[in-house]
Amino acid sequence: MARTLMRFTGVGGQGVLLAGEIFAAAKIKTGGNGLKTATYTSQVRGGPTVVDITLDDEEIYYPYANDGEINFMLSVAQVSYDQFKRGVQEGGTIVVDPNLVKPTDEDRKKWKIFEIPIITIAKEEVGNVITQSVVALAIANTMQNAIDKETLVGTMLSKVPAKVHDVNKKAYELGEKYAKEALAK
Amino acid sequence: MATREVISSGNELSALAAKDAGCRFFGGYPITPSSEIMHEMSDLMPEVGGACIQMEDEIAGVAAAIGAGMSGVRTMTATSGPGISLKAENLGLAQMAEVPLVVVNVMRGGPSTGLPTRVSQGDVAQAKNPSHGDYKSITLCAGSLSECYTETVRAFNLADRFMQPVFVLLDETLGHMHGKAILPTEEDVAAGIVPRKQFDGPAEEYFPYECESDQPAVLNPMFKGYRYHFTGLHHDRRGFPTEEIETCRKLIQRLEDKVELHKDEIELNEEFFVDDAEILIVAYGSVSLAAKEAIRHLRAEGIKAGLFRPITLWPSPQDRMRELAARIPKVLCVELNIGQYRDEVQRATGRLDIDGLFKVNGRPISPYEIVNKVKEL
Repeated sequence: MARTLMRFTGVGGQGVLLAGEIFAAAKIKTGGNGLKTATYTSQVRGGPTVVDITLDDEEIYYPYANDGEINFMLSVAQVSYDQFKRGVQEGGTIVVDPNLVKPTDEDRKKWKIFEIPIITIAKEEVGNVITQSVVALAIANTMQNAIDKETLVGTMLSKVPAKVHDVNKKAYELGEKYAKEALAK
Repeated sequence: MATREVISSGNELSALAAKDAGCRFFGGYPITPSSEIMHEMSDLMPEVGGACIQMEDEIAGVAAAIGAGMSGVRTMTATSGPGISLKAENLGLAQMAEVPLVVVNVMRGGPSTGLPTRVSQGDVAQAKNPSHGDYKSITLCAGSLSECYTETVRAFNLADRFMQPVFVLLDETLGHMHGKAILPTEEDVAAGIVPRKQFDGPAEEYFPYECESDQPAVLNPMFKGYRYHFTGLHHDRRGFPTEEIETCRKLIQRLEDKVELHKDEIELNEEFFVDDAEILIVAYGSVSLAAKEAIRHLRAEGIKAGLFRPITLWPSPQDRMRELAARIPKVLCVELNIGQYRDEVQRATGRLDIDGLFKVNGRPISPYEIVNKVKEL
């Protein structure tokens, strides 16, 4: 496989870091290489946060995504969206939560933009807002087809306590469902 | 040699390495971007019968770690640049009293509180001389996740061999990046531990600071019947203050020579596509990752670039740098500071035409910036 570059952006405290770690770990489990880096501000909460995920069968040296090379970005905060969208390659995929991020008409011409209410799905359909990172994980993987689903879900479950396995599985299934629906439109 | 694969971050790997290398005490005070080391040590130390203590500030953190070192255990503190500034006085004490200690500095933007969450290599010059006076720093710099582990292990062995603080420099990128690391097994690391020397003769014949002119003090663990004195003052063979002219001269000369005359035990470098290189990039730490990626691109375009990466920054690999600079016409230092190591490359090679690509805004240097700079040369 060629290199896959994904970027998750939000604001501090939303838990976007974990999704990146899960992706990297799952890729490594399949015998490849995965790296996650995070950039954040010194604000404890509310500052723009960006997580870059690099997946490759070859060795990865530089751990950040180069601007203009990102295949997929997911954003749940306007401030981060505005700051980091330029990293996505032309024609690349961007998923935003439409309640929190409003892309411009120009953006829609440049990138394939999908609107999925990630936070609402986590809060109301899964019943736990913390699962938004798993919903995001499912959306990213469904759209990018980066990693075998079983491996990714297995890795995800290994990183969360057993008592919340069911709710996280539900979050993954819902994310996958919404992503498939968005792609079918 | 057998290896194991671990998925982790640089900071967590440094803590794991400390535990595996026999560290049993951590004293510190959390500071971004090094906090995960202390966090991890607070889990690991109690599991192996060690202790981790969060002190009231950076100064007390290193003081506690030095105290543990005096008592005979392998000990560590971790911090970032502002913490090193605060710890400087006590680091000087550890140099003078010859107390082994590992100090991990996960570098962030400076000076002062700088850019707490952003990457930098601004503490390279500081690591050479954090405290006043004459002594010889030993500073190792990890350039990958695996090296966050292996260099921390090496630091513990060097600290006990040379009886002084040993710095391990990480940076925000390495400390926080998360991925695969190939590590030596715990058994191999344990087998490689060489504990500090001890005197086992009669107590009345024990003089810890009476040693060969190029060797470190022999400090027995405390509370074992061997009495001696620790001080930051110039001291005699039992550690008591003195101003006797020859004793003072010999002491400070020995602090220099114990490292300077044994550099071959400390130096470590990596050379990447150097054999036929016409352009030599000198980079260390996380910047070397961008440099390797850049060299891949440059080589694909037929440009013969190579990387020289010092892993031991201090003492610097001056002989090897001089050899390479004598045959490679163009040399470029790439650093997240304004040429702190270029000064050393210039000194070591005797060349003042060393180019530089420097960045100090808290952002990493990308491979493309290096590619473009090389093409300009």
